[in-house]
Amino acid sequence: MQTNFTAAQLADPQVAESEKILRRCVHCGFCTATCPTYVTLGNELDSPRGRIYLIKDMLENGRPADEQVVTHIDRCLSCLACVTTCPSGVDYMHLVDHARIHIEKTYRRPLADRLIRGLLAKTLPYPGRMRAALTLARFGRPLSPFLKRIQALRPLAAMLDLAPSSPARSSMAGLGIPQASGERRGRVAILSGCAQPVLDPGINDAALRLLARFGVEVVTPEGEVCCGAIVHHMGKEDQALDFARRNVDVWIRELETGGLDAIIITASGCGTTIKDYGHMLRLDPAYRDKAAKVSSLAKDITEYLAGLDLPRLDAKGVTVAYHSACSMQHGQKIVAAPKNLLKTAGFTVRDPAEGHLCCGSAGTYNILQPEISGQLKARKVKNIEATKADVIATGNIGCMTQIATGTAMPILHTVELLDWAYGGPRPQKYKQKAAS
Amino acid sequence: MSEAIQFLPPRDSVMSRRAAIVTDLAELLPPECLVHEARELVPFETDAFVSYRRLPLAVALPKTTAQVAAVLKYCHRYGVPVVPRGAGTSLSGGAIPQEDAVVLCLSKMARILELDYANRTATVQAGVTNLSISEAVGTDGFFYAPDPSSQLACTIGGNIGMNSGGAHCLKYGVTTNNLLGVKMVLVDGAVIELGGKHLDASGYDLLGLICGSEGQLGIVTEATVRLIAKPEGARPVLFGFEASEAAGACVADIIASGIIPVAIEFMDKPAIEICEAFAHAGYPLDVAALLIVEVEGSEAEMDAMLQSIVEIARRHQVKTVRECQSATEAALIWKGRKSAFGATGRIADYICMDGTVPLSKLSYVLNKTAEIVESFGLRVANVFHAGDGNMHPLILFNANDPADAAKAEAAGNEILKLCVDAGGCLTGEHGVGIEKRDLMRHQYSEVDLHQQMAVRAAFDEGWIMNPSKVFPLDGRA
Amino acid sequence: MLTPHTEADAAYVIRTAATDGKTLGLCGGNTRAGFGNVTETAETVSSRALSGIVDYDPAEMVVTARSGTPLAEIEAALAANRQMLAFEPMDHRGIMGTGGEPTIGGVFAANVSGPRRFVSGAARDSLLGIRFINGKGEVIRAGGRVMKNVTGLDLVKLLAGSHGTLGFLTEVTFRVLPVPQTAETIVISGLDDAGAAKAMAAALALPVEVSGAAHLPQTVRHRFLSGSLPDGEATVLRLEGLAASVSVRSEKLAAVMQAFGPIARLDADESRTLWQEIRDVHPYADNSQKPLWRVSVAPSAGHQLVAALRLEAGVDAFYDWQGGLIWMRMEADPEAELLRRFIRALGGGHATLVRASATVRTQCPAFEPQPDAVAQLSARVKQKLDPGGIFSPGKMG
Repeated sequence: MQTNFTAAQLADPQVAESEKILRRCVHCGFCTATCPTYVTLGNELDSPRGRIYLIKDMLENGRPADEQVVTHIDRCLSCLACVTTCPSGVDYMHLVDHARIHIEKTYRRPLADRLIRGLLAKTLPYPGRMRAALTLARFGRPLSPFLKRIQALRPLAAMLDLAPSSPARSSMAGLGIPQASGERRGRVAILSGCAQPVLDPGINDAALRLLARFGVEVVTPEGEVCCGAIVHHMGKEDQALDFARRNVDVWIRELETGGLDAIIITASGCGTTIKDYGHMLRLDPAYRDKAAKVSSLAKDITEYLAGLDLPRLDAKGVTVAYHSACSMQHGQKIVAAPKNLLKTAGFTVRDPAEGHLCCGSAGTYNILQPEISGQLKARKVKNIEATKADVIATGNIGCMTQIATGTAMPILHTVELLDWAYGGPRPQKYKQKAAS
Repeated sequence: MSEAIQFLPPRDSVMSRRAAIVTDLAELLPPECLVHEARELVPFETDAFVSYRRLPLAVALPKTTAQVAAVLKYCHRYGVPVVPRGAGTSLSGGAIPQEDAVVLCLSKMARILELDYANRTATVQAGVTNLSISEAVGTDGFFYAPDPSSQLACTIGGNIGMNSGGAHCLKYGVTTNNLLGVKMVLVDGAVIELGGKHLDASGYDLLGLICGSEGQLGIVTEATVRLIAKPEGARPVLFGFEASEAAGACVADIIASGIIPVAIEFMDKPAIEICEAFAHAGYPLDVAALLIVEVEGSEAEMDAMLQSIVEIARRHQVKTVRECQSATEAALIWKGRKSAFGATGRIADYICMDGTVPLSKLSYVLNKTAEIVESFGLRVANVFHAGDGNMHPLILFNANDPADAAKAEAAGNEILKLCVDAGGCLTGEHGVGIEKRDLMRHQYSEVDLHQQMAVRAAFDEGWIMNPSKVFPLDGRA
Repeated sequence: MLTPHTEADAAYVIRTAATDGKTLGLCGGNTRAGFGNVTETAETVSSRALSGIVDYDPAEMVVTARSGTPLAEIEAALAANRQMLAFEPMDHRGIMGTGGEPTIGGVFAANVSGPRRFVSGAARDSLLGIRFINGKGEVIRAGGRVMKNVTGLDLVKLLAGSHGTLGFLTEVTFRVLPVPQTAETIVISGLDDAGAAKAMAAALALPVEVSGAAHLPQTVRHRFLSGSLPDGEATVLRLEGLAASVSVRSEKLAAVMQAFGPIARLDADESRTLWQEIRDVHPYADNSQKPLWRVSVAPSAGHQLVAALRLEAGVDAFYDWQGGLIWMRMEADPEAELLRRFIRALGGGHATLVRASATVRTQCPAFEPQPDAVAQLSARVKQKLDPGGIFSPGKMG
């Protein structure tokens, strides 16, 4: 597509990169069809092609962001289904990242929006604050119906609705990391995460047990922080890059001292961001190479397990609806590995219809855009329930939280099912649901 | 932006009342169904024929036939041009607006209304995408046959507007052969129904006239289309040739032998490379031309047909023959082919031609096309429906270089004239739109065009509907 | 009757008539004389002297012929190359008691299609291009000679089926298809009309490419294949294609159909005769003037329509196109209003009075009356092609 940038504009490396991305778009419109917001709202402005055009217009004219542009960019889930669909290879992810940074720098949001975004940015990435917030939320939940009546406060209501009703506890609390058994097959770091250990510590517990069982030594290096995805998607670039640099330091140190075969991530949302560290820090000469190294080591747990050649088990008589998180299938292009692992472990796997569509979780989207998110959740749940499976498996905590609020079907992380199949305990959530 | 093709000058009577028109439209539509802020109009300024752009006055996104009727009635009363739009995937600029126009975009009307298997019909709103019909009926053993390459995104309303074809219409026909009925709004807001679940028209075949009328006769809001039982199996086979001529002659011989495959697609070397890079479908990279021939039916039938086709291909010195082994492989082969235009965007900007020529002229037109494009110092990739002679040369250029863009347009015009001179036509399935409008006199006489325009006037006397398209601006009645 | 020998002559005749305000009836071989509303015209122009195949390259599967070329001549030329008209045009002479020679122009002007229509399309779907003379005497070219063509408005479709009321066809270009290597027909016996509708719908949902689906009730069964069809009502399903494929599909189809009733098979020759008789409405080629209707409705509605009518009128009927095409002979009164009311009640469609006595024809509109908005639109379209209204005014309503 034709672009109109001056040489001066193109001197800014971010603008130069966006220009390259825009040049690839041929405006064919294929992306509209797989975009969750377009299929929900039916408006070009809420499609990837429409947003690309809005961004192009804003950047070409060197304009600050305005209410209209912000409205439509905010509605983007960053699910990246469009990137999977695009035949021309338009790197929408980095284009919309740029737009979000531009918005954050040039647009003053209404007060309520600023407050809620500030609250999220200051809570979610920090496990301690997150735990405290969840405790508060349990007391605040009765307020939710009142908050919903006021448009500006709907995000707060959404947040309260999403908070689990009882605190989650690690089954291995105080036991430490299990020792690798048998022949040693690798040494990896695992991302502890920020929101996930608070919401569902069982996921990493299962991953640790499973890896240990197959001879993989797992370390959790000191000093690791949130991957930065949450603030990155809000356009809070400085905070995101700060998180990224701290993690790069931690993992490079571990790599140089003990050696690392991989950095294992059990939340695909985080994985997509960590795999992008190399790009995020490309303009920082001190970190560029280290960040690229970290990105190359980053592996989703299923990606890593696929390389271990786990033994084939007998059929279990358990049917699993596999929900592929957007960050998994579109962000990281991991499509077959999780399903193959489940099948090898004896599960029957079903693909829900419209698997390419987002469940509406999308980081903080279900809090900031509760209406669209709710419609997407309902659509997703309907498709999943139509599979008549016994249990839902997925690889991202955000989807788990989101989908769980819409269905009575148990929902587990893929690695929890795998751990169970290969000798671990039957997952708590499956037991509860199965019994009830 | 290119300027060679003119749009109608905006009507003063409309431009002077812009604000009032927006206010009036706001009375007719819910707030989420009207776009009028300057910033938000920009993404509607073009479709997939991105060389030309015009901002509209407003965009209406109706949710019901009644809203479409209300908007049309209003625009008719005040002489406001209306540009219909589905998904905006037109390659001929059919949905490009003009400054005094209201874009009537049916993207919010995207519900499947009824699937009737006893009568093998689907009734859908016009904004439903082509592919979603086949997806909705696929598990029950049916499909909707016309399959334009943009079927993932393009809408049935748009397909009717352009009488869209696709790779598989060699056997099943194009939109007009698969359309049974429509509900449509005439320019004065009257809602009529043509056809239905029964066959043939009771009077004049207005349905046949509507199909392919490029949004000039009214706006279709619902359509009833024919469903077909899915064949037991389908198998695409790749045939690689060392020369385009051999591939072209092979196509003609296959058809002449009395075998009608469901699809015969042609790609030349540049196209093969582009598509392979995107889809990793396993296209042979060491050949000059590739045919994708698909047969369908029972295993026995496919084997029998393929045997004959392979024999014919051998007579034309086929270099590689690869039968597809699995459904996944077949899907990849088609994904590569159907993404060809978009995937070309990875290496350059392009404009896509759509002329159709008699089969016996394929090789001649291919060679001439190469000569023409070369004479302008540009490159071309060819990927098209060979079985029905529908060519799609993609002329590659640099959109940021105005001289290059002008050369591409000029080369395109020459290629289309070549198609007409070879006994073919300007457009097989993309429509005339704005792109080929000024070439219409190359195909039709003044009297022919006047007759078409007269019939058009039976629907829209005041040239409200998509008025800058299809018919040359000069010499209009 | 005027029989111009060239297109230019024809244009002159029409131009003169337009100037003089003289009405013209247009025809080919006039084998459908008496079709449509009764009209009086000052003169009749026939295309029969505009004869001959202009261009036929079997490898292209496209034929161009002058409009007055006898259908028989076209079919013979095609047969010599093992090709055919996919839409199986019927011969109206039997039911209408007319003589003359059907022409290719007449076939397209009346959009005449036979049993394969519901899968392969109507005559209009095979028609690629035309030359015609409008009501001003201008020669107009529309469409072309390639299968895919969306260049401008599709006047080809408009002229197809306009029964000589919009223009005088002088040349037609149409697509042809290879003749299937073989054919076979499966007969399911003993189904009532409703049961047959179910069986045919089931057959069409199978991936076996049924290319003919008709139901011949007890009253007409003996009129086909010289009475040699098995006892009981006959529901007939045709398969065509490569021999190897037909036998496989036939097994599959029979396996499903035997749940509906006893199965018999007809070979290629019997099959050809049977479908030709269905095409030409053999049972009602009865040298009578009894009102004969051709009704097109949704396939599932066909038998309901007939059942409803039987309660109130003397009706004999059989079905083609999976039940969606009903040939219906009335014992006495055409019962047009009743019939058309039921059609509307059953979801829509249309009934055309193909044959009736002269008196009946003057009282009963032959074509389905249209809603006002559509009728007005049709009238405007006619006015744009024939501004003076000289071509058979009133013939189509």
